Amino acid sequence: MSGSERYYFRFNLYHRILHGMVIFSFLGLALTGLPLKYAETGWGRWLSHVLGGPFTTGYLHRFFAVITFLYFGLHLGYVARLVLKGQRGIFWGPDSMVPQPRDFVQLAQHVRYFLGLGPRPRFGRWAYWEKFDYWAVFWGVSIIGASGLLLWFPAFFARFLPGWIFNVAIIIHSDEALLAVAFIFTVHFFNTHLRPEKFPMDPVIFTGRVEEEEFQREHPAEYERLRVEGRLEAHRADPPPLWLRNFARVVGFSALAIGIILIGLIIGTALG
Amino acid sequence: MGPGRRPISLFVDQASFQGSVHGFLECVQCHVDAAEIPHPDVLKKVQCQTCHEAAVSGAHALLGGKGPACSSCHGSHAISPPPKVESVICKKCHALVVEEYGKSVHGMALVKGNGDVALCLNCHGSVHELKKVRDPGSPVYPLNLPRTCGICHGDPELARRHGIAVTNAYQLYMDSIHGRALARSGLLVAANCSSCHGFHGIRPKDDPASKVNRMNVPSTCGTCHAGILVVYAESVHGKAVRNGDAAPVCIDCHSAHQIRRVEGAPWQLQAIRECGTCHEESLKTYRDTFHGKVTALGFTRVAKCSDCHTAHAIFPSSDPRAAVSPAKIVATCQQCHPQATAAFAEFHPHADYHNKERFPKLYYTYLFMTALLVGTMSLFGLHTVLWFPRSLLERIRRRRARAGEELEP
Repeated sequence: MSGSERYYFRFNLYHRILHGMVIFSFLGLALTGLPLKYAETGWGRWLSHVLGGPFTTGYLHRFFAVITFLYFGLHLGYVARLVLKGQRGIFWGPDSMVPQPRDFVQLAQHVRYFLGLGPRPRFGRWAYWEKFDYWAVFWGVSIIGASGLLLWFPAFFARFLPGWIFNVAIIIHSDEALLAVAFIFTVHFFNTHLRPEKFPMDPVIFTGRVEEEEFQREHPAEYERLRVEGRLEAHRADPPPLWLRNFARVVGFSALAIGIILIGLIIGTALG
Repeated sequence: MGPGRRPISLFVDQASFQGSVHGFLECVQCHVDAAEIPHPDVLKKVQCQTCHEAAVSGAHALLGGKGPACSSCHGSHAISPPPKVESVICKKCHALVVEEYGKSVHGMALVKGNGDVALCLNCHGSVHELKKVRDPGSPVYPLNLPRTCGICHGDPELARRHGIAVTNAYQLYMDSIHGRALARSGLLVAANCSSCHGFHGIRPKDDPASKVNRMNVPSTCGTCHAGILVVYAESVHGKAVRNGDAAPVCIDCHSAHQIRRVEGAPWQLQAIRECGTCHEESLKTYRDTFHGKVTALGFTRVAKCSDCHTAHAIFPSSDPRAAVSPAKIVATCQQCHPQATAAFAEFHPHADYHNKERFPKLYYTYLFMTALLVGTMSLFGLHTVLWFPRSLLERIRRRRARAGEELEP
């Protein structure tokens, strides 16, 4: 970095802290949940014992679940605050996470681009795969969280639910968690960090700042919109300080490493 | 010679006497009161102890005149070293025992010419100091018996030579709950080798008359564990064994020699796998549940087979006596889950989500979840595979562009 680049804010501190909570709790849930799912494999047994056995990992799993519910609630609160402030744009339009016709068009354009049949679509603030990641967390936390709560408090839920619901909960909790882990540790990692243009890592979620050239390349429609509306300067950021860049590397690479090791073990078990 | 007594021949074969180990002796050296001729009508009994000091003590000696005299075993004038197979001699008095021995695994091996086989004295000790079984000094006294059997049955080399399946029965036994009770706690009531195998008439386990034949194992163990036998005999396993069906007997779960305390984790975890050797499906579905995963990880503080089904009083769930019967299932769950209700107990601990007929809800849930997993990963997998080469090209193109910029400032 020559220091002459211009930076713009993409994620504010609240976004970054919440995503930090997602990383922390998701890795924690995966590390304490997978040893139980894979209790009959050597690595599952090893990991469970290293982390203190199934009862200790059980407590830790619930601790990370509480963090998950906490960030879920904090995010809903954040959305509610924006609504109360009158920012209707979060439900539709370029700032919204809600899938819109443009996203489907861009998906088709993107596939054409993959095949060399057209130019790269001009993505806005949120590309369609980023929206998918966002809703995947929404869906995942709801489904895994609800089934997890059932299994956490079976005696309570059995007061008004039939017992077979716990059998269903086990399947859903386990399979949906596998989907979440498989998706995050392969697709999300590739799309945001490991694809050659970003390799080995995109630190923007940790630093919050995106460099101007990359901003124009990755989110040209958003850059253009801010420029036309004259709001670009309001998003100007100082270059990420060295400590923040180092922090991003340490946390980012650690998270990537844990995820890649875990998905490697899962794939190895599935194949072997 | 009094009335009613058999006539005794007084003939002594000179040749056989002189060929004996005592051949160098004069007659009067033993028959001391015959030195003067004519000697008295009734000669005293020969006192072997005159030369063979303290040769005889123990049980036979204690019998006094009623017991065997030296000559009973060694002969009188034709003294020879005693025959190697002492049963020939012992059976003069212990006919029934020797007959029983003859039918035993040891006796049969003897007939086949097995040179290592246990003879009377190998177990009962030196013939001249023979002790009663109740004498703590006897090698077959209950506290000493395992060590005595262990001379052969703790020798893997010997076991291999003779095709004995359990090569280290002694070592396994001494580490077992029975062996410890006997050796460490000194309990006479602890099962020793003969409690299960018998003593003189030990039969191989494939012999239907053997105490350790599968069919007889429950009653053999039941000699001491009578309360368990009553429960087991009524259970689905006990009945099946009586009907000649494949079902576990005591030793299948508890092992034969290495019987452990049932509180120990290694045994409890092994018992689960043991149940699974027949109940394969149940073990598989058990491993899908939290209970089964925790035990797979080596921890026992969750429900294991016997926690729900009981250890010995196992009945089909349709039987009202079963701990998993509709009438008792809630109480069974409540052992660990005090708040369990009837709805709670509807949780199926052996649900097979592959079985569409029995568990349609689970089957379709699993189907949906699998479709979701496979569908999502396939779509995005394809997306990733297609994106990768374009992204690589993009990176190369960008690097070239940057290199070009640097060349023409």
